[in-house]
Amino acid sequence: MGANTKHGDLYGLLIEFESPSLLMAAVEKVRDEGFKKWDVHTPFPVHGMDDAMGIRGTNLPFLVLGGGLTGLGLATLMQWWMNAVDYKFVISGKPLFGLPAAVPVMFELTVLFSAFAAFFGMWILNGLPKLYHPLFTNRRFRRATQDRFYIVVEAADPRFKLEETRNFLASLGGSAVEEVNESAED
Amino acid sequence: MAHHHVPRLEDTKTTLDGLGPRLFAVSALIGVIGLAATFGLGLSQGDGLRHFGFSYLINFAFFLSISLGAMFFMPIMYVTRASWNVVMRRLAEVTAAVMPLLAVLAIPVIIFAGQIYGWADPAVAGSHAMSHKAAYLSKNMFILRWVIYFCIWTGYSWFFWKTSVKQDSSGDVGLTRRLENYSGFALMICALSVAAASFDLLMSINPLWFSTMFGVYYWAGGFVTFWAVMTLFTMGLQNTGRMRGIVTPEHFHDYGKAMFAFTFFWGYIAFSQYMLYWYANIPEETHWFLIRSQNGWGMTGMVIIFATFMLPFAGLISRYAKRSRKMLAFWAFWIIVAQWINLYWVVMPQFSDSFVFSPMDVTAFFGIGGLWLAGITKLAMGNSLVPTGDPRLEESLRFENA
Repeated sequence: MGANTKHGDLYGLLIEFESPSLLMAAVEKVRDEGFKKWDVHTPFPVHGMDDAMGIRGTNLPFLVLGGGLTGLGLATLMQWWMNAVDYKFVISGKPLFGLPAAVPVMFELTVLFSAFAAFFGMWILNGLPKLYHPLFTNRRFRRATQDRFYIVVEAADPRFKLEETRNFLASLGGSAVEEVNESAED
Repeated sequence: MAHHHVPRLEDTKTTLDGLGPRLFAVSALIGVIGLAATFGLGLSQGDGLRHFGFSYLINFAFFLSISLGAMFFMPIMYVTRASWNVVMRRLAEVTAAVMPLLAVLAIPVIIFAGQIYGWADPAVAGSHAMSHKAAYLSKNMFILRWVIYFCIWTGYSWFFWKTSVKQDSSGDVGLTRRLENYSGFALMICALSVAAASFDLLMSINPLWFSTMFGVYYWAGGFVTFWAVMTLFTMGLQNTGRMRGIVTPEHFHDYGKAMFAFTFFWGYIAFSQYMLYWYANIPEETHWFLIRSQNGWGMTGMVIIFATFMLPFAGLISRYAKRSRKMLAFWAFWIIVAQWINLYWVVMPQFSDSFVFSPMDVTAFFGIGGLWLAGITKLAMGNSLVPTGDPRLEESLRFENA
């Protein structure tokens, strides 16, 4: 967010590839170079990309677990309080708080809160909603949804040095290296 | 993708060869000794082989449910045109195709029906509560239905297995299309026949009790056990140097997902059946649960809630557990034991109101299980352990979880 002070308006450097196999070889080199703030853009999912990029597993499952346990606890507490404390009422000779009768609601709220945690947790971890992205200013990048493959290294990366990084990217065998700015170019 | 190593069949052993006859001999021997021991122990009880009948029934129902799970697995995979499982499908095919042997193993259940099933007792059969059921729940009708069940199951499982084996040499895509066309109908017929068979085999031990969910309850237990057994079969073969490299953590991950999903499915069904009866609280429905909730059977039921449902659910929830060979093997083994305990709890309270356990229950497990494994080995010996002619094999070998 915001322009990088060291590099002015520069968001990062973009390099284009024509096939997934060229891309994969380059991705592994970028990973081995030790960059942290960088990403890969492809028109379709490429198997093995997570390993090639060295991406570690997401923390989302723990958020979902927390959400599920919250739902389970809340449903239990709510039904116990309503039926056995706040408004005691015997129905067809059942105990005031009968666990079998409470299980369906416990199950449903577990599922509901897990789904909330998964959905909104995914938003938060991905920095969504995001209405603007500097890459949208780049004309070349528009082919990322059609037939081209891109690596983008951000200027905010601690290892980023404009000329050095440009030369490094140019050595990866892509078809073009371009600067991407924070603000629109046209 | 491009830089990834694609596993090749040539790099590993895909036949049983030398292992086949040895495995067959050992498991058949265990089976014969196990059954002989069970019979001897049964005679020594001096109860007209009544306890023997119940011990035999539990283990017969257990191994039958695994083969029925395998029989369902094949049409489900064809009807969805799934490719990931192809490399392991032959193991399921032979596990289902052992059906004629199970038909032979069903004979003692029919012979001892008089000792096992309540409807065979003239006092019960003549009671008013049985007046509309007596014609259906009679010995001759019982035998007739088992003949029909095994004709259907043998027919379907052999059709799928034989067609797949034929494809090994021809590689004919038309054979896959043919199986796809029959799969939808196969699923319907198998579902109806398994539901009816579960009523005959287990529910009618107490002919006065009824549950429309009982079919899916029995099926769900068998299906989750089937995935566990496939996991252990595949790992066992890999430990002897077979199918190595071609069945990867990606495939085991999916087996883990299936075990996880059907563990929950079983729990959902088992609880639904219990909850509806608990809520309605009608004596002719609750008595089945009443005898299963006291005199030691209630404790067994509590063990089942945790062992078959909660613990494997928690244990298999993480991706890490499903991709770890050791953890997956542990839970597969666990599920097999837990589902067996569940069947024990379904059957045995009809034999004795208070908890019993006899060595016969274990010897019958090895007796029927040994013969069952010997039968599967015999069927697997002649052909490749992998359906080499399947058009989706290549896709299966390259399979990765997204």
